[in-house]
Amino acid sequence: MDPINPWLDPTEVRHLAEQLLRPVAPACLSAADAGFDSSFIGFTSGGVASIAPESTASAPVSAPLPTTHTPAIPPLPQAIQPAISISQAPPAPSVSQRSPEPPPAAPSRTRFLQRIHIFRDWLAKNFQATDIFVLDREGKVIFDESGHGRLHFMARNLAIASRGSGNIHVKIGPAAILEVIPCETPYGRIVLGALVPDALPADHINMINEVLLQTASPA
Amino acid sequence: MISIAISSQKGGVGKTTLSVNLAHAFARAGLNTLLVDADPQGSVGLSLTRQSRLLPGFYDFLADPGIPMERLIVPTRLETFSLVAAGQASDYEAGNGSSGSHLARVRAFIRNATARRYDICLIDTAAGLFGVTNDIISTADAIIVPQQAEPLGIRSMPKLLEGLNRLRIINPRLNVLGVCLTMLQQGLAESTEAASALRHLLPAEMLFQTSILRDEIYIRASAKGLPVGVLENGKGAETVFDSLRAEVQAKLARSRAAAIYQPH
Repeated sequence: MDPINPWLDPTEVRHLAEQLLRPVAPACLSAADAGFDSSFIGFTSGGVASIAPESTASAPVSAPLPTTHTPAIPPLPQAIQPAISISQAPPAPSVSQRSPEPPPAAPSRTRFLQRIHIFRDWLAKNFQATDIFVLDREGKVIFDESGHGRLHFMARNLAIASRGSGNIHVKIGPAAILEVIPCETPYGRIVLGALVPDALPADHINMINEVLLQTASPA
Repeated sequence: MISIAISSQKGGVGKTTLSVNLAHAFARAGLNTLLVDADPQGSVGLSLTRQSRLLPGFYDFLADPGIPMERLIVPTRLETFSLVAAGQASDYEAGNGSSGSHLARVRAFIRNATARRYDICLIDTAAGLFGVTNDIISTADAIIVPQQAEPLGIRSMPKLLEGLNRLRIINPRLNVLGVCLTMLQQGLAESTEAASALRHLLPAEMLFQTSILRDEIYIRASAKGLPVGVLENGKGAETVFDSLRAEVQAKLARSRAAAIYQPH
């Protein structure tokens, strides 16, 4: 007796296998973020944006580009792209040993999510920041790469506790400081959270705050 | 860097043997290789010394954002070959949780590995398409499916293919490199017939030409916690994984990513 075919449908198996060899069109998700109304300039140029940095709208599945994912959004002018990606960056000296690079110019007509990714890359490159997230004025997550609700919760509470007195940080691991930087924008107060190896000095905090403000509300 | 999940629907199909020896083959070929034990019941971690097994690992990284990647990486005698054990976190026991709950942390792990200039990251996942395994496959660039050459294993194929099709909705760029027949017993009719049936069932490009035979040398290698090529008389088995590695690279090259995967 055939030990295989009575237990499965060869046509179905073949179909399923062939499906796996074909490209899949990535889904586009709505980029309407809570806390920002229609007057927010970041959403005025288009109704729908891809929210995933890994999105490969123009790359077929059979041709993945593992280190440089093709974004679904149009490429930025060279002048506003980060000079090198995180994966290509050489080991960085500690933050205290060097001055951060000047922030990239925030493009006023690009979408908010595009600008926040540029900001994220700048922050990671210059301050060795990881697990970056941004909360809106209601404490909802606008952007997150940490995946840790506990960090959001902590940042939210720290931001409330520090209202009016600037940034605050807390040591959460042997080489991990949660830096919480509230930022007043025309659309309300947003809160940046990021893990850094050492607490950041005041001038760095001010610079981050300015760049975040520029990112959230470009001129 | 390219990340490849080694995943199967069924347990006990030789997933860890394939992961360890394929990773070793990549490392010997000059690629900076990271092998990650994401299988709480797997043997990559058990191959490590007792002291190394107490190190934090993959599941600790998922659970605790304060753990730096450096603390997870276990170097080996081969400079291009490093390991990450499964770890000590509570999820180590369960290894699952609901799908999606660890997606962001798995992505963070891959980003960290990429930043450390690994060329390739092989992730030995827990069997079954659920929990953290789903999150890994939803993040990885590619997947290899070890499939034991025996009838019951082949019968699980539709479920596996359905699961992968579902996961490709979440991860449309997932490159299904193919199914690799393992534990093939050439002297056993049921095993060779199962292998033959699978070759008829699947499109040719979905099945690796290289098959892994059932051989006592793999048991000896795993008992010593070593890749098979390190053993005396292991060179023959080692060439099998060199062949598999070459197939993987050829498939990746066909995916227009060749330049990234060439040895330094």
